[in-house]
Amino acid sequence: MSAADRARDALSRLVDASATERVLISTAALVLSVLIGAVLVLVAGRMTTCTAGEAVYYFGTGFCYDPVVVFDRLFLGALGDPLSGSWSPNGQFAVTLRETTLLIFTGLSVALAFRAGIFNIGTQGQMVVGALATALGVLWASSLVSGAVGTVVLIPFGLLVGAVFGGLYGAVPGLLKAYADANEVITTIMLNFIATGVALYLVSGAFKDPNSAANQTVPLPEFAQFPALLFGARQDFSIVALGFGLLAVAALYYVLEHTAFGYDVRTSGVQPEAAEYGGVDAKRTVVASLSLSGALGGIAGAMYVMMVLGTFQTGIPAYGFDGITVSILAGNNPLGVGVAALLFGVLKSGTTVVQFATDVPPQLVGVLRGLIILFVAMPEFFRLLARGLPGTGSKPEAVATDGGTAGDRGGETDE
Amino acid sequence: MASAVHLDGITKRFPGVVANDDVDLTVERGTVHALLGENGAGKTTLMNVLYGLYEPTSGTVRLDGEPHAFDSPRDAIDAGIGMIHQHFMLVDPMTVTENITLGSEPRKWGGLAVDRAGAREAVVELADRYGFDVDPDARIEDVSVGEQQRVEILKALYRGADTLILDEPTAVLTPQEVDELFEVLDELTAQGKTIIFITHKLGEAMRAADEISVLRDGRKVGTVEAATTTQEELAELMVGREVLLDIDHGTAETGEVVASASEVVVEDDRGVRAVDGVSFDVRGGEVFGIAGVDGNGQSELVEAVTGLRTPDAGEIRFRGEDVTTASRRDRIEAGMAYVPEDRQERGLVMEFDLVENGLLGSQHGRELAANGRIDWAKTRGHAEAIIDEYDVRPPDADAGAESLSGGNQQKFIVGREFERDPELVVASHPTRGVDVGSIEFIHERLLELREQGVAVLLVSSKLEEVRGLSDRLAVAYEGEFVDVVDPDETTEEELGLLMAGERPGGDDGGDEGGGPATTGDGDADEAERNAAADLADAADGERA
Repeated sequence: MSAADRARDALSRLVDASATERVLISTAALVLSVLIGAVLVLVAGRMTTCTAGEAVYYFGTGFCYDPVVVFDRLFLGALGDPLSGSWSPNGQFAVTLRETTLLIFTGLSVALAFRAGIFNIGTQGQMVVGALATALGVLWASSLVSGAVGTVVLIPFGLLVGAVFGGLYGAVPGLLKAYADANEVITTIMLNFIATGVALYLVSGAFKDPNSAANQTVPLPEFAQFPALLFGARQDFSIVALGFGLLAVAALYYVLEHTAFGYDVRTSGVQPEAAEYGGVDAKRTVVASLSLSGALGGIAGAMYVMMVLGTFQTGIPAYGFDGITVSILAGNNPLGVGVAALLFGVLKSGTTVVQFATDVPPQLVGVLRGLIILFVAMPEFFRLLARGLPGTGSKPEAVATDGGTAGDRGGETDE
Repeated sequence: MASAVHLDGITKRFPGVVANDDVDLTVERGTVHALLGENGAGKTTLMNVLYGLYEPTSGTVRLDGEPHAFDSPRDAIDAGIGMIHQHFMLVDPMTVTENITLGSEPRKWGGLAVDRAGAREAVVELADRYGFDVDPDARIEDVSVGEQQRVEILKALYRGADTLILDEPTAVLTPQEVDELFEVLDELTAQGKTIIFITHKLGEAMRAADEISVLRDGRKVGTVEAATTTQEELAELMVGREVLLDIDHGTAETGEVVASASEVVVEDDRGVRAVDGVSFDVRGGEVFGIAGVDGNGQSELVEAVTGLRTPDAGEIRFRGEDVTTASRRDRIEAGMAYVPEDRQERGLVMEFDLVENGLLGSQHGRELAANGRIDWAKTRGHAEAIIDEYDVRPPDADAGAESLSGGNQQKFIVGREFERDPELVVASHPTRGVDVGSIEFIHERLLELREQGVAVLLVSSKLEEVRGLSDRLAVAYEGEFVDVVDPDETTEEELGLLMAGERPGGDDGGDEGGGPATTGDGDADEAERNAAADLADAADGERA
């Protein structure tokens, strides 16, 4: 058997892997990436100088950075040190959950489109549009209601506005694809720039907060923001938002697996000719799934405005691009998105903890994070690639480039 | 002198299939040898053994008397074997010269650079020697298919091939290009090259070859001299004595017109008129058959009726309504069942299991998915019922569609569509690839549906099948119905003539001005030959 045959064989085994096997593969990949990361930390530690007191000693050799500490901070630090007894809901764990919540929505957005066979890179733009629309809509509506009633009314209202506008912005590439045969990868990338540009224009002009130097809207009143229940307000996290996120995970799972619409979406995604034969209206399914995908991205934007910032400000972090990685990590399965978003959330929030706790340069932490994502996502990525081979091979390739930048960009926004 | 190629007792087994069974083949130097057989007879497998792509399970390959064991095509090429595949292996944006020399380019500067001038010269010289008309500097994407094929041949000659294998070389060519190809083959054999070409077309084998070997079901059933054989003899060798399935067709009450087409024109993907003004109607309780050699517009007509393709003119009515532009979903919901021609692309979602596949087409129906919510328990029961009744193996609803054999996939699709409680069943080659027992079962079910007053539109290239099942039979030729006949009143001979485009009353439909643009003598010839094959087959059957 030649090397090529062996590679093909391995690839087909990967495609056929069961759910249990996939969990095992992912866990093994995680462990392997930590081991390789540890070696990198040690090597980097040999190449810098530090005082003898700061150094740690392994195998009789001194290293400046301790991989045990680094990974301890990266994971346990991100969880707010649950083992130390000083765990507090106000701590780093809230940050992790905040990131997780936002990534759940952007991850679901990408996953839904992917299941329909559409590569939506526009979640970022849909998130920006949703965020801006929510900020403006809630600001307008907050003059009508206030107090506790305001919270109860305005939060669903804000989410709805975000979903509607994100959805409309997602419908644009959907319509272009369905009726003008425009490639969604190109159009959604372009629409990202348009969203960012238009948002900047509006927020630096007509809707600018006159009391602020930054390009942002007037801050939302306190009652129009997600309430800080259980977790302290300091970390901009609300358990209510996470609840919505988990609800969205369950809802999307239900839609895909138990409804006729979901069946249409999945059939179109894996075999468009069979879908057509089975009476699926291809054009409508494209528009509907991209609209719904955009709506989920829009909700992420609404959450970002009403939970994190309390205003709309230009330069929204690249949650939309991270959503691509989260979705691939999850094999585009909604339930998996919940888990992948948590892993991604831990890594994002853990990165800052590592930087506080050690002298390890942020670039190296970025590398460690990238390694983990690369290792965990690679089996899923190969599955996508192998499935895509007989048909259009271009889509999975786009995953490689864009998924890669997504991780990088996510890293930069943190720092 | 030893033969150029001598295959001795070649057997090639794949899991569950014997593709070649103890095949002997002798090809003399400087001759053209045709390897004739139906699709799936094992022709290509045998040649892949010779070309080193497959290792034979047993048997030896001898070239000029010397036994050879090839591990890869590389070895075969080194031993002077060249193969021109049906789908060309050329790099489109590269020039003719680059393609021919690819991987074996003449080098200069101690092997560091490609000697482009030298390569071009070598190609020109080679083309001149065999009288080939190729432009060495043209890009592959800019030249005709015939020229691409000549480039493929030159590629093999450039690598020193003495024996050339051509897999269905005429399938992609226009009739003029076929003539040119045969001239090229003459020139090659005149210069001592040996040619083996794979084909399923009787006429071409007789025209181009010196000797013809016929394969059937993986066995060689005979080798004949092209000069002394007849089409009838070849057809009989090729098809053999098929079991004549006794279809008790009976008579049924025919009811109202369920579906009809009037003056329907459909263009195919290339914009060619595949269906050119066809009209018919199908009544409840009758089987309306469409016979004809594949590729005479039947597929496009069926797609227009079922809603996968929009007709360019004409009208299609179903249950009294104009459905010419109605969606596929509307037609399904109105009671149209459809067994598609291509089961793996259309009929089944290969990644889904049978439970999910049983839902295909019913996902918006009240039965299994009321209010847009899928009742998976019911859907599973539905799939299991199909599996049980139609004897789908393995009987496992959780099995993925792709894990089933072709015949079992087909049975599942047939079951799903027949159990739809339809008003009209459109069945395109419903028994293709299905074993004999299941063929009988599918035929019975089809006739049962007819008894129940269902209208059936049946398309099949198996003459026996359409003739045995149909109440009325249309013969398609070049996008038109040549005639609609009563199959019981028509002999196979008459049908054969109709299938070849011979119009009733002596009007030859072959070269009419109004025919589809791509048609030419080649197609007509092929149709006649196939018709002849069917004739031979039928005559054979009647003798039996």
